[in-house]
Amino acid sequence: MIGLDVVIQALLSGLFMGSVYALIAIGFTLVFGVTDIVNFAHGHLVMAAMFVTYFLFKSAHLDPYLSLVIVLPLFFGIGALLYVVVIQRIVDAPHSAHMMVTLGLLLVFENLANLFFGGDLRGITTTYTTSSYIIGPVSVPLARLAAAVVSLLAVGALSVFLGRTSLGKAIRASANNREGAALVGVNVPRVYLVSFSLGTMAAALAGAVIVPFSLVSPFVGHEFILKAFVIAVLGGLGSVGGALAGGLLIGFVEALSSLYISASLGNAIVFAILIAVLLYRPWGIFGQAKV
Amino acid sequence: MSALLAVRGVSKRFGGLQALNNVTFGVGHREIVGIIGPNGAGKTTLFNVITGVYAPDEGHVELRGLKVTGWAPHRICRLGAARTFQIGKPFAALSVLQTVRIGALNRIESMAGATARALEVLELVGLADKREHLGKNLTVIERKRLELARALATGPALLLLDEVAAGLRPNEIQDMIALVRRIAAGGVSVLIIEHVLEAVMRLSARIVVLNYGEVIAEGSPQSLVNDPRVIEAYLGEAYTLA
Amino acid sequence: MHGRLALGLVAVGAAAAVPLVAGQHILTALIVALHASYIALAWNVAAGYAGQFSLGHSLFYGIGAYASTMLYLKLGLTPWAGMFAGAAIAGAVGVLLALGVYRYNVRGIFFALVTLGAAEVAKGLADNWDWVKGPVGILLTMKAAPAEFFFLRREPYYYVALAMVVAMIVISLVLERSRLGQHFLAVREDEAAAEASGVDTYRAKTIAIGLSAALTAFAGSFYAQFYLYVSPETVFTFEPQLTMMLGTMVGGAGTALGPVLGSVLFSGLGEALRNLPFENTRQVVIGSKLVYAILLIVILIYLPGGLITLGRRKP
Repeated sequence: MIGLDVVIQALLSGLFMGSVYALIAIGFTLVFGVTDIVNFAHGHLVMAAMFVTYFLFKSAHLDPYLSLVIVLPLFFGIGALLYVVVIQRIVDAPHSAHMMVTLGLLLVFENLANLFFGGDLRGITTTYTTSSYIIGPVSVPLARLAAAVVSLLAVGALSVFLGRTSLGKAIRASANNREGAALVGVNVPRVYLVSFSLGTMAAALAGAVIVPFSLVSPFVGHEFILKAFVIAVLGGLGSVGGALAGGLLIGFVEALSSLYISASLGNAIVFAILIAVLLYRPWGIFGQAKV
Repeated sequence: MSALLAVRGVSKRFGGLQALNNVTFGVGHREIVGIIGPNGAGKTTLFNVITGVYAPDEGHVELRGLKVTGWAPHRICRLGAARTFQIGKPFAALSVLQTVRIGALNRIESMAGATARALEVLELVGLADKREHLGKNLTVIERKRLELARALATGPALLLLDEVAAGLRPNEIQDMIALVRRIAAGGVSVLIIEHVLEAVMRLSARIVVLNYGEVIAEGSPQSLVNDPRVIEAYLGEAYTLA
Repeated sequence: MHGRLALGLVAVGAAAAVPLVAGQHILTALIVALHASYIALAWNVAAGYAGQFSLGHSLFYGIGAYASTMLYLKLGLTPWAGMFAGAAIAGAVGVLLALGVYRYNVRGIFFALVTLGAAEVAKGLADNWDWVKGPVGILLTMKAAPAEFFFLRREPYYYVALAMVVAMIVISLVLERSRLGQHFLAVREDEAAAEASGVDTYRAKTIAIGLSAALTAFAGSFYAQFYLYVSPETVFTFEPQLTMMLGTMVGGAGTALGPVLGSVLFSGLGEALRNLPFENTRQVVIGSKLVYAILLIVILIYLPGGLITLGRRKP
């Protein structure tokens, strides 16, 4: 019989990782919602940010949270560059082209990382990597707590941005109705550029904050993109709130399934749920059906 | 005379919009019937219901004596109703010949036979010399003719034409009218949606007028021109049958 | 037409003569390239001709590998026959999947994700199924047993792989000229127009997936007999899928030779470089993958029909 404290520990772990997953998924779903492009390379953007953060720590002893000052603008710029050089040329192409091109980007990132840094797993140890608050029988790992808090704050900031600022509204308008938005004067190409850059930046933030407690390698991107798919679909493609709910849900499912069954079986169950949602409720568990 | 096509009490709703409301009319053998009405009157929706793209909420559709309500589009095509699409849907990456041949494969099993039939149809619509051109490289009038050819190649008893004359120049309209007449003369009934009134008035033996999803009038072109309801809804005062 | 046939026969003849001059290393590289070409052509049936962009073909690949292997280990059935059983099972799974998915009109990115999910589910199940040895996988012994599809030398594997590719090319060419093939194209181009032309799109799509699945499974069995190791991490992962897609998209989807061109370019390049005496072979191999990825992106943007279109005359 598994004790309650172990379950609570698992749920806590699920909450923390779920928050980070939500942030990753939100970047992904924002890009899809606005530009209709599924960015298969999204998980590898997380990986790229992990590497940058890792090296800033190793070479300049810069704490991951401090290095955000560099990482965030850097990846906003990388997103913009990717958009201008590659993405904008396929925006009007069929979905299969989107998938293949972003898969190509995935391969570029993976092989670049592998080429320069090798396939070994690396990690960093910050002052807080192993620290935890102890609350009763439960220990709260500081690094994961911080990652979750920052992720949730970022989600909040993004929601405020989308809901309250004029650029945010322009983004939502373009996501809703591209031609309509253009007709009322929204600069749709610029909106696409900003959305893609924001999505990339969100991925980078997630990558940076998980470095204190994660292993870095060129191949970690796969796991992130698969989770992003599942969460984005569950939450309703394009829905920020849905991605948040979906992220937390997946975090819990992952943590609990590691506890009771194997991780890989839990993975299989998650994908079975994905298939069911795609068949019966493609607008997501938390989304709304369009008439 | 038993009707080739019978539409009885068909209604269709999309969310808050009643697209079709209790529509009833028929098309007989060797008949050309026109459907006119303002934009949004439900004309294309009617085609979609007849050809099985949507199932109606109420009412039914009979083709050649069989109830085809709710049948998949390809079955209705097999039975003998073929339609063209308003926004021309050529098979962009396929050649003109390939496109029409796919239609011909509806009735003809062998590739050789279907190819021969496709070439015949292409001759009829005047696209034979463009047979190797890709769908995406055609002009507007060529696309219209291709749509027509594709539908005709399926060997229909009833051809449903959705605005075949739209976007054409005056001389092209005359050619299209002549072409539709030639096709009808071969024994095919035609149900034609048109905004280009000259085309539909000249071609149709009978016209059905739709407005807001309802049939507001039905009759010969001559009688409708003077019908006040039709004038108010659609024609306007100034229209006279030339 | 006859000129092309003659050319094809010459090419096959030349390919058949290669083992007379090539050593084991080069034959291995060629086998890898042929294998990649085969699965690309198999995927092409569904994705290139019928436009059904599946991301989960590893599901069928893995089914083929496990089926023939388990039938051999448990029932002593020779993999020559087990291959066909695997193909039948994969085909049935493909058909069932298609029937379920297409019933709900799932297409585009949603379809791709469903197939991806299916492959992931299979991987997860295989990882937890003790009967197939779970994540540890199954190791086959290297031996000389031709009747059971085991060879010590590379030459027989080369001929089998060559035969599979030639057969697949012929199947593709026959498909292109058949009524079914035309239906596939119609479905790919425009489903609504296809239906309106009398094409049963549900049936066509289901056949496309089922056929493609069965054909892919043969390659899974070949993999098992060649590499002698079957595990969820080798056959149910995204690797085979990536190989099929890259080869097909770079070479030219929807053609009989495009996938071969693209696959030979990619895997042949990688394998050949591996055997050359470079300073740092690992870097060269990764570098070649990098170059190929960039090539993929460039081709998709500027030459979406694939490299094969470079050899075509414009009408």
